[in-house]
Amino acid sequence: MNYLRRILTIVGKDIAAEIRTKEMMNSMIVFVLLTLVIFNFAFGERFEGAAEASAGILWVAFLFAAVLGLNRVFVHEKDEGCLDGLMLCPVDRSVIYFGKALASLIFISVVELIALPIFAIFFIRTIFLANLWLLILVLILSNVGIAAVGTLLSAISINTKARDLMLPILFFPVIVPILIAAVKSTGLIISSPSFPEDVLVWLRMLAIYDIIFILVGFLTFEYVLEE
Amino acid sequence: MRDWIQRILFWFSLIGIIVSIFMVFFYAPIDRNLGIVQKIFYFHLPVAITPYFAFLVVFVCSILFLWKRERRWDVIALASAEIGLVIDTALLVTGTIWDKPTWGVWWVWEPRLTTSLIMWLLYAGYLLLRRSVGEEARRARFAAVYGIVAFISVPISFMSIRWWRTLHPLVFKPTGIELEPPMIFTVFVCLIAFFFFYLCLLRQRIGLEFLKEGIEDLKDSLGGG
Repeated sequence: MNYLRRILTIVGKDIAAEIRTKEMMNSMIVFVLLTLVIFNFAFGERFEGAAEASAGILWVAFLFAAVLGLNRVFVHEKDEGCLDGLMLCPVDRSVIYFGKALASLIFISVVELIALPIFAIFFIRTIFLANLWLLILVLILSNVGIAAVGTLLSAISINTKARDLMLPILFFPVIVPILIAAVKSTGLIISSPSFPEDVLVWLRMLAIYDIIFILVGFLTFEYVLEE
Repeated sequence: MRDWIQRILFWFSLIGIIVSIFMVFFYAPIDRNLGIVQKIFYFHLPVAITPYFAFLVVFVCSILFLWKRERRWDVIALASAEIGLVIDTALLVTGTIWDKPTWGVWWVWEPRLTTSLIMWLLYAGYLLLRRSVGEEARRARFAAVYGIVAFISVPISFMSIRWWRTLHPLVFKPTGIELEPPMIFTVFVCLIAFFFFYLCLLRQRIGLEFLKEGIEDLKDSLGGG
Protein backbone atom coordinates (compact mmCIF):
# COMPACT_ATOMS: atom_id res chain seq x y z
CA MET A 1 0.00 0.00 0.00
CA ASN A 2 2.84 2.26 0.87
CA TYR A 3 4.34 1.54 -2.53
CA LEU A 4 1.18 2.71 -4.28
CA ARG A 5 1.01 5.90 -2.21
CA ARG A 6 4.58 6.76 -3.16
CA ILE A 7 3.76 6.31 -6.83
CA LEU A 8 0.70 8.52 -6.49
CA THR A 9 2.80 11.21 -4.79
CA ILE A 10 4.99 11.45 -7.88
CA VAL A 11 1.93 11.45 -10.14
CA GLY A 12 0.37 14.21 -8.03
CA LYS A 13 3.55 16.27 -8.24
CA ASP A 14 3.64 15.95 -12.03
CA ILE A 15 -0.01 16.82 -12.43
CA ALA A 16 0.35 19.85 -10.17
CA ALA A 17 3.34 21.05 -12.15
CA GLU A 18 1.48 20.50 -15.41
CA ILE A 19 -1.63 22.33 -14.24
CA ARG A 20 0.51 25.31 -13.30
CA THR A 21 2.54 25.49 -16.49
CA LYS A 22 0.14 23.78 -18.93
CA GLU A 23 3.19 23.53 -21.09
CA MET A 24 2.96 19.94 -22.24
CA MET A 25 -0.79 19.50 -22.64
CA ASN A 26 -1.39 22.68 -24.59
CA SER A 27 1.23 21.90 -27.18
CA MET A 28 0.11 18.27 -27.41
CA ILE A 29 -3.50 19.24 -28.10
CA VAL A 30 -2.59 21.85 -30.69
CA PHE A 31 -0.19 19.38 -32.23
CA VAL A 32 -2.86 16.68 -32.59
CA LEU A 33 -5.19 19.14 -34.27
CA LEU A 34 -2.44 20.31 -36.59
CA THR A 35 -1.64 16.74 -37.56
CA LEU A 36 -5.28 16.02 -38.35
CA VAL A 37 -5.49 19.15 -40.49
CA ILE A 38 -2.24 18.37 -42.27
CA PHE A 39 -3.45 14.87 -43.03
CA ASN A 40 -6.59 16.34 -44.48
CA PHE A 41 -4.50 18.44 -46.85
CA ALA A 42 -2.15 15.60 -47.66
CA PHE A 43 -4.86 13.09 -48.52
CA GLY A 44 -7.61 15.37 -49.70
CA GLU A 45 -11.02 13.88 -49.24
CA ARG A 46 -9.99 10.31 -49.83
CA PHE A 47 -10.51 9.34 -46.22
CA GLU A 48 -13.73 11.15 -45.55
CA GLY A 49 -16.24 8.59 -44.46
CA ALA A 50 -13.74 5.78 -44.85
CA ALA A 51 -13.66 4.94 -41.16
CA GLU A 52 -11.14 2.12 -41.32
CA ALA A 53 -8.61 4.18 -43.22
CA SER A 54 -9.09 7.27 -41.09
CA ALA A 55 -8.26 5.24 -37.98
CA GLY A 56 -4.70 5.30 -39.30
CA ILE A 57 -4.70 9.10 -39.37
CA LEU A 58 -6.00 9.21 -35.84
CA TRP A 59 -3.28 6.95 -34.50
CA VAL A 60 -0.45 8.64 -36.32
CA ALA A 61 -1.62 11.91 -34.78
CA PHE A 62 -1.87 10.31 -31.34
CA LEU A 63 1.54 8.67 -31.55
CA PHE A 64 3.24 11.87 -32.67
CA ALA A 65 1.58 13.81 -29.88
CA ALA A 66 2.58 11.09 -27.42
CA VAL A 67 6.23 11.38 -28.46
CA LEU A 68 5.99 15.13 -28.02
CA GLY A 69 4.71 14.66 -24.48
CA LEU A 70 7.05 11.81 -23.61
CA ASN A 71 10.01 13.93 -24.63
CA ARG A 72 9.07 16.33 -21.85
CA VAL A 73 8.67 13.74 -19.11
CA PHE A 74 12.17 14.17 -17.77
CA VAL A 75 13.11 17.53 -19.29
CA HIS A 76 12.23 19.65 -16.28
CA GLU A 77 13.66 17.15 -13.86
CA LYS A 78 16.89 17.11 -15.80
CA ASP A 79 17.25 20.81 -16.61
CA GLU A 80 16.40 22.09 -13.18
CA GLY A 81 18.34 19.46 -11.32
CA CYS A 82 15.23 17.87 -9.85
CA LEU A 83 16.24 14.45 -11.14
CA ASP A 84 18.95 14.27 -8.49
CA GLY A 85 16.39 15.14 -5.86
CA LEU A 86 14.04 12.53 -7.20
CA MET A 87 16.78 9.95 -7.17
CA LEU A 88 17.75 10.85 -3.62
CA CYS A 89 14.24 10.02 -2.47
CA PRO A 90 14.29 6.98 -0.23
CA VAL A 91 12.12 5.03 -2.65
CA ASP A 92 12.73 2.21 -5.06
CA ARG A 93 13.63 3.28 -8.60
CA SER A 94 10.59 1.44 -9.90
CA VAL A 95 8.41 3.86 -7.91
CA ILE A 96 9.80 6.71 -10.01
CA TYR A 97 9.21 4.68 -13.14
CA PHE A 98 5.61 3.85 -12.34
CA GLY A 99 4.89 7.39 -11.14
CA LYS A 100 6.27 8.93 -14.31
CA ALA A 101 4.58 6.36 -16.54
CA LEU A 102 1.24 6.85 -14.83
CA ALA A 103 1.50 10.63 -15.17
CA SER A 104 2.30 10.28 -18.89
CA LEU A 105 -0.58 7.86 -19.26
CA ILE A 106 -2.95 10.45 -17.79
CA PHE A 107 -1.62 13.29 -19.96
CA ILE A 108 -1.78 11.26 -23.16
CA SER A 109 -5.27 9.99 -22.37
CA VAL A 110 -6.64 13.47 -21.67
CA VAL A 111 -5.23 14.80 -24.94
CA GLU A 112 -6.75 11.88 -26.83
CA LEU A 113 -10.15 12.32 -25.24
CA ILE A 114 -10.16 15.97 -26.31
CA ALA A 115 -8.98 15.14 -29.83
CA LEU A 116 -11.31 12.21 -30.41
CA PRO A 117 -14.59 14.16 -30.92
CA ILE A 118 -12.80 16.59 -33.22
CA PHE A 119 -11.45 13.71 -35.23
CA ALA A 120 -14.96 12.28 -35.48
CA ILE A 121 -16.30 15.57 -36.80
CA PHE A 122 -13.47 15.94 -39.31
CA PHE A 123 -13.22 12.46 -40.74
CA ILE A 124 -16.11 10.18 -39.93
CA ARG A 125 -19.50 10.87 -41.40
CA THR A 126 -21.48 8.12 -39.72
CA ILE A 127 -20.55 7.51 -36.13
CA PHE A 128 -21.46 4.32 -34.34
CA LEU A 129 -21.49 5.12 -30.68
CA ALA A 130 -22.69 1.66 -29.73
CA ASN A 131 -19.13 0.50 -29.14
CA LEU A 132 -17.79 3.63 -27.49
CA TRP A 133 -16.78 1.73 -24.37
CA LEU A 134 -14.78 -0.63 -26.58
CA LEU A 135 -13.00 2.31 -28.15
CA ILE A 136 -12.17 3.66 -24.69
CA LEU A 137 -10.77 0.25 -23.80
CA VAL A 138 -8.57 0.29 -26.90
CA LEU A 139 -7.36 3.77 -26.02
CA ILE A 140 -6.51 2.76 -22.47
CA LEU A 141 -4.71 -0.45 -23.46
CA SER A 142 -2.72 1.33 -26.17
CA ASN A 143 -1.82 4.21 -23.90
CA VAL A 144 -0.58 1.88 -21.19
CA GLY A 145 1.84 0.34 -23.68
CA ILE A 146 2.87 3.74 -25.06
CA ALA A 147 3.49 5.12 -21.56
CA ALA A 148 5.33 1.99 -20.37
CA VAL A 149 7.77 1.95 -23.29
CA GLY A 150 7.88 5.71 -23.73
CA THR A 151 8.79 6.54 -20.15
CA LEU A 152 11.66 4.07 -20.16
CA LEU A 153 13.02 5.30 -23.49
CA SER A 154 12.45 8.93 -22.52
CA ALA A 155 14.67 8.45 -19.47
CA ILE A 156 17.33 7.11 -21.82
CA SER A 157 17.02 9.75 -24.53
CA ILE A 158 17.09 12.69 -22.11
CA ASN A 159 20.61 11.65 -21.14
CA THR A 160 21.95 11.46 -24.70
CA LYS A 161 23.57 14.19 -26.73
CA ALA A 162 20.80 14.16 -29.33
CA ARG A 163 18.07 14.35 -26.66
CA ASP A 164 14.72 15.06 -28.38
CA LEU A 165 15.92 13.54 -31.62
CA MET A 166 16.72 10.24 -30.00
CA LEU A 167 13.30 9.36 -28.59
CA PRO A 168 11.34 8.94 -31.85
CA ILE A 169 14.16 6.84 -33.33
CA LEU A 170 14.14 4.52 -30.35
CA PHE A 171 10.41 4.65 -29.73
CA PHE A 172 8.68 4.12 -33.09
CA PRO A 173 10.14 0.74 -34.08
CA VAL A 174 9.37 -0.67 -30.64
CA ILE A 175 5.79 0.62 -30.70
CA VAL A 176 4.88 -0.93 -34.08
CA PRO A 177 2.70 -3.71 -32.56
CA ILE A 178 0.68 -1.12 -30.62
CA LEU A 179 0.19 0.95 -33.76
CA ILE A 180 -0.99 -2.03 -35.79
CA ALA A 181 -3.35 -3.32 -33.11
CA ALA A 182 -4.73 0.13 -32.28
CA VAL A 183 -5.36 1.09 -35.92
CA LYS A 184 -6.99 -2.24 -36.71
CA SER A 185 -9.25 -2.31 -33.69
CA THR A 186 -10.19 1.37 -33.95
CA GLY A 187 -11.07 0.85 -37.61
CA LEU A 188 -13.24 -2.13 -36.77
CA ILE A 189 -14.98 -0.36 -33.91
CA ILE A 190 -15.86 2.89 -35.65
CA SER A 191 -17.04 1.18 -38.82
CA SER A 192 -19.26 -1.45 -37.27
CA PRO A 193 -22.69 -0.88 -35.74
CA SER A 194 -22.55 -4.14 -33.78
CA PHE A 195 -19.88 -5.77 -31.68
CA PRO A 196 -16.94 -6.60 -33.98
CA GLU A 197 -15.70 -10.09 -33.10
CA ASP A 198 -12.31 -9.57 -34.77
CA VAL A 199 -11.43 -6.88 -32.27
CA LEU A 200 -10.77 -9.46 -29.55
CA VAL A 201 -7.58 -10.61 -31.29
CA TRP A 202 -6.24 -7.08 -31.18
CA LEU A 203 -7.28 -6.43 -27.60
CA ARG A 204 -5.38 -9.55 -26.62
CA MET A 205 -2.36 -8.35 -28.54
CA LEU A 206 -2.45 -4.98 -26.77
CA ALA A 207 -2.81 -6.64 -23.37
CA ILE A 208 0.12 -9.00 -23.99
CA TYR A 209 2.28 -6.10 -25.14
CA ASP A 210 1.35 -4.04 -22.08
CA ILE A 211 2.15 -6.80 -19.62
CA ILE A 212 5.50 -7.60 -21.24
CA PHE A 213 6.68 -4.02 -21.44
CA ILE A 214 5.50 -2.99 -17.99
CA LEU A 215 7.59 -5.89 -16.74
CA VAL A 216 10.60 -4.91 -18.89
CA GLY A 217 10.33 -1.29 -17.73
CA PHE A 218 10.02 -2.34 -14.11
CA LEU A 219 13.10 -4.56 -14.34
CA THR A 220 15.37 -2.28 -16.37
CA PHE A 221 14.49 1.24 -15.23
CA GLU A 222 16.84 1.13 -12.26
CA TYR A 223 19.76 0.68 -14.65
CA VAL A 224 18.79 3.78 -16.60
CA LEU A 225 18.67 6.05 -13.58
CA GLU A 226 21.84 4.99 -11.91
CA GLU A 227 24.61 7.45 -10.83
CA MET B 1 45.79 -18.05 -28.40
CA ARG B 2 43.52 -15.36 -29.74
CA ASP B 3 45.27 -15.29 -33.11
CA TRP B 4 45.06 -19.02 -33.38
CA ILE B 5 41.29 -19.13 -32.99
CA GLN B 6 40.85 -16.14 -35.28
CA ARG B 7 42.94 -17.80 -37.95
CA ILE B 8 40.88 -20.99 -37.80
CA LEU B 9 37.64 -19.00 -38.03
CA PHE B 10 39.01 -17.04 -40.96
CA TRP B 11 40.05 -20.08 -42.98
CA PHE B 12 36.90 -21.98 -42.10
CA SER B 13 34.66 -19.18 -43.33
CA LEU B 14 36.81 -18.48 -46.42
CA ILE B 15 36.91 -22.12 -47.51
CA GLY B 16 33.28 -22.57 -46.45
CA ILE B 17 32.07 -19.69 -48.60
CA ILE B 18 34.16 -20.75 -51.61
CA VAL B 19 32.83 -24.30 -51.30
CA SER B 20 29.26 -23.02 -50.94
CA ILE B 21 29.57 -20.87 -54.07
CA PHE B 22 30.79 -23.88 -56.01
CA MET B 23 28.01 -26.03 -54.62
CA VAL B 24 25.37 -23.42 -55.37
CA PHE B 25 26.36 -23.14 -59.01
CA PHE B 26 27.71 -26.58 -59.92
CA TYR B 27 26.23 -29.08 -57.50
CA ALA B 28 22.66 -28.00 -56.70
CA PRO B 29 20.26 -28.57 -59.61
CA ILE B 30 18.51 -25.64 -61.26
CA ASP B 31 14.99 -25.16 -59.96
CA ARG B 32 12.34 -26.40 -62.36
CA ASN B 33 9.90 -23.52 -61.84
CA LEU B 34 12.01 -20.57 -60.83
CA GLY B 35 15.13 -21.24 -62.88
CA ILE B 36 18.48 -19.69 -62.10
CA VAL B 37 17.02 -17.02 -59.82
CA GLN B 38 16.39 -19.64 -57.18
CA LYS B 39 20.17 -19.75 -56.60
CA ILE B 40 19.87 -16.64 -54.45
CA PHE B 41 17.94 -18.74 -51.96
CA TYR B 42 21.13 -20.48 -50.79
CA PHE B 43 22.54 -17.22 -49.53
CA HIS B 44 19.20 -15.72 -48.65
CA LEU B 45 18.43 -18.36 -46.01
CA PRO B 46 21.75 -17.99 -44.14
CA VAL B 47 21.52 -14.20 -44.13
CA ALA B 48 17.95 -14.53 -42.91
CA ILE B 49 18.87 -16.66 -39.93
CA THR B 50 22.14 -14.98 -38.94
CA PRO B 51 20.67 -11.57 -37.92
CA TYR B 52 18.27 -13.29 -35.55
CA PHE B 53 21.18 -15.10 -34.01
CA ALA B 54 23.30 -11.94 -33.91
CA PHE B 55 20.56 -9.95 -32.18
CA LEU B 56 19.95 -12.82 -29.77
CA VAL B 57 23.63 -12.47 -28.86
CA VAL B 58 23.06 -8.72 -28.30
CA PHE B 59 20.12 -9.53 -26.04
CA VAL B 60 21.94 -12.15 -23.97
CA CYS B 61 25.07 -9.99 -23.66
CA SER B 62 22.94 -7.00 -22.62
CA ILE B 63 21.45 -9.00 -19.78
CA LEU B 64 24.85 -10.36 -18.80
CA PHE B 65 26.28 -6.85 -18.82
CA LEU B 66 23.60 -5.43 -16.53
CA TRP B 67 24.05 -8.40 -14.26
CA LYS B 68 27.83 -8.83 -14.17
CA ARG B 69 29.00 -5.33 -15.15
CA GLU B 70 31.89 -6.70 -17.16
CA ARG B 71 32.96 -4.60 -20.09
CA ARG B 72 33.44 -7.52 -22.44
CA TRP B 73 29.68 -8.22 -22.60
CA ASP B 74 29.10 -4.68 -23.80
CA VAL B 75 31.80 -5.04 -26.43
CA ILE B 76 30.35 -8.32 -27.68
CA ALA B 77 26.86 -6.77 -27.83
CA LEU B 78 28.18 -3.83 -29.87
CA ALA B 79 30.08 -6.08 -32.26
CA SER B 80 27.15 -8.41 -32.75
CA ALA B 81 24.70 -5.56 -33.32
CA GLU B 82 26.90 -4.03 -36.01
CA ILE B 83 27.40 -7.31 -37.84
CA GLY B 84 23.74 -8.22 -37.44
CA LEU B 85 22.74 -4.93 -39.00
CA VAL B 86 25.05 -5.44 -41.97
CA ILE B 87 23.77 -8.97 -42.56
CA ASP B 88 20.19 -7.77 -42.12
CA THR B 89 20.88 -5.26 -44.89
CA ALA B 90 22.08 -8.13 -47.07
CA LEU B 91 18.89 -9.96 -46.17
CA LEU B 92 16.69 -7.05 -47.25
CA VAL B 93 18.63 -6.70 -50.51
CA THR B 94 18.57 -10.40 -51.43
CA GLY B 95 14.96 -10.53 -50.26
CA THR B 96 13.82 -7.84 -52.66
CA ILE B 97 15.77 -9.41 -55.53
CA TRP B 98 14.14 -12.75 -54.73
CA ASP B 99 10.67 -11.23 -54.43
CA LYS B 100 10.58 -9.77 -57.91
CA PRO B 101 10.66 -13.02 -59.93
CA THR B 102 8.65 -15.06 -57.41
CA TRP B 103 5.91 -12.63 -56.42
CA GLY B 104 6.16 -10.10 -59.23
CA VAL B 105 6.88 -7.11 -57.02
CA TRP B 106 9.97 -5.83 -55.25
CA TRP B 107 8.37 -5.49 -51.88
CA VAL B 108 5.49 -7.18 -50.09
CA TRP B 109 4.40 -6.18 -46.60
CA GLU B 110 4.64 -9.78 -45.60
CA PRO B 111 5.45 -10.70 -41.96
CA ARG B 112 9.00 -11.95 -42.42
CA LEU B 113 10.03 -9.13 -44.73
CA THR B 114 8.43 -6.47 -42.60
CA THR B 115 9.96 -7.89 -39.44
CA SER B 116 13.42 -7.79 -41.02
CA LEU B 117 12.87 -4.15 -41.88
CA ILE B 118 11.67 -3.26 -38.39
CA MET B 119 14.61 -5.17 -36.97
CA TRP B 120 16.89 -3.11 -39.16
CA LEU B 121 15.35 0.09 -37.79
CA LEU B 122 15.57 -1.14 -34.19
CA TYR B 123 19.27 -1.90 -34.37
CA ALA B 124 20.07 1.18 -36.42
CA GLY B 125 18.51 3.01 -33.47
CA TYR B 126 20.61 0.92 -31.10
CA LEU B 127 23.82 1.99 -32.83
CA LEU B 128 22.68 5.63 -33.05
CA LEU B 129 21.98 5.54 -29.33
CA ARG B 130 25.49 4.30 -28.67
CA ARG B 131 26.97 7.12 -30.70
CA SER B 132 24.87 9.65 -28.88
CA VAL B 133 26.14 8.89 -25.37
CA GLY B 134 29.63 10.12 -24.61
CA GLU B 135 30.31 8.64 -21.22
CA GLU B 136 31.32 5.01 -21.45
CA ALA B 137 29.62 3.50 -18.40
CA ARG B 138 26.36 5.23 -19.22
CA ARG B 139 26.53 4.26 -22.88
CA ALA B 140 26.93 0.62 -21.97
CA ARG B 141 23.97 0.71 -19.58
CA PHE B 142 21.63 2.50 -21.99
CA ALA B 143 22.64 0.27 -24.86
CA ALA B 144 22.04 -2.81 -22.73
CA VAL B 145 18.54 -1.66 -21.75
CA TYR B 146 17.67 -0.87 -25.36
CA GLY B 147 19.23 -4.14 -26.50
CA ILE B 148 16.77 -5.93 -24.23
CA VAL B 149 13.74 -3.82 -25.22
CA ALA B 150 14.50 -4.13 -28.95
CA PHE B 151 14.91 -7.88 -28.94
CA ILE B 152 11.74 -8.51 -26.96
CA SER B 153 9.74 -6.38 -29.38
CA VAL B 154 10.82 -8.42 -32.43
CA PRO B 155 8.60 -11.50 -31.88
CA ILE B 156 5.64 -9.31 -30.85
CA SER B 157 6.07 -7.28 -34.03
CA PHE B 158 6.23 -10.47 -36.06
CA MET B 159 2.99 -11.75 -34.52
CA SER B 160 1.19 -8.45 -34.96
CA ILE B 161 2.24 -8.15 -38.60
CA ARG B 162 1.13 -11.70 -39.21
CA TRP B 163 -2.29 -11.11 -37.71
CA TRP B 164 -2.52 -7.80 -39.52
CA ARG B 165 -2.03 -9.60 -42.81
CA THR B 166 -3.88 -12.87 -42.28
CA LEU B 167 -7.14 -11.25 -41.27
CA HIS B 168 -7.10 -10.17 -44.89
CA PRO B 169 -7.21 -12.66 -47.73
CA LEU B 170 -3.66 -13.69 -48.47
CA VAL B 171 -2.78 -12.37 -51.89
CA PHE B 172 0.82 -13.39 -51.90
CA LYS B 173 1.26 -16.86 -50.59
CA PRO B 174 4.91 -17.75 -50.27
CA THR B 175 4.59 -21.14 -51.88
CA GLY B 176 6.59 -23.80 -50.13
CA ILE B 177 9.58 -24.67 -52.23
CA GLU B 178 10.08 -28.37 -52.72
CA LEU B 179 13.72 -29.09 -52.13
CA GLU B 180 15.75 -31.85 -53.70
CA PRO B 181 18.26 -33.57 -51.37
CA PRO B 182 21.26 -31.92 -53.12
CA MET B 183 19.57 -28.55 -52.56
CA ILE B 184 19.11 -29.26 -48.88
CA PHE B 185 22.71 -30.35 -48.56
CA THR B 186 23.89 -27.19 -50.34
CA VAL B 187 21.86 -24.86 -48.17
CA PHE B 188 23.15 -26.67 -45.11
CA VAL B 189 26.74 -26.08 -46.18
CA CYS B 190 25.96 -22.43 -46.89
CA LEU B 191 24.45 -22.08 -43.44
CA ILE B 192 27.53 -23.47 -41.71
CA ALA B 193 29.85 -21.34 -43.84
CA PHE B 194 27.87 -18.24 -42.99
CA PHE B 195 27.84 -19.05 -39.32
CA PHE B 196 31.62 -19.27 -39.29
CA PHE B 197 31.77 -16.04 -41.25
CA TYR B 198 29.65 -14.37 -38.57
CA LEU B 199 31.86 -15.73 -35.79
CA CYS B 200 34.97 -14.60 -37.65
CA LEU B 201 33.64 -11.05 -38.08
CA LEU B 202 32.45 -10.97 -34.49
CA ARG B 203 35.83 -11.93 -33.13
CA GLN B 204 37.58 -9.49 -35.42
CA ARG B 205 35.29 -6.66 -34.32
CA ILE B 206 35.72 -7.46 -30.63
CA GLY B 207 39.49 -7.49 -31.09
CA LEU B 208 39.27 -4.13 -32.84
CA GLU B 209 37.34 -2.61 -29.96
CA PHE B 210 39.86 -3.79 -27.39
CA LEU B 211 42.66 -2.54 -29.61
CA LYS B 212 40.98 0.86 -29.67
CA GLU B 213 40.82 0.80 -25.91
CA GLY B 214 44.50 -0.12 -25.74
CA ILE B 215 45.36 2.88 -27.89
CA GLU B 216 43.35 5.16 -25.61
CA ASP B 217 45.20 3.80 -22.61
CA LEU B 218 48.52 4.35 -24.34
CA LYS B 219 47.52 7.90 -25.21
CA ASP B 220 46.59 8.54 -21.60
CA SER B 221 49.86 7.14 -20.36
CA LEU B 222 51.70 9.47 -22.72
CA GLY B 223 50.15 12.41 -20.96
CA GLY B 224 46.66 12.87 -22.28
CA GLY B 225 47.85 13.60 -25.84
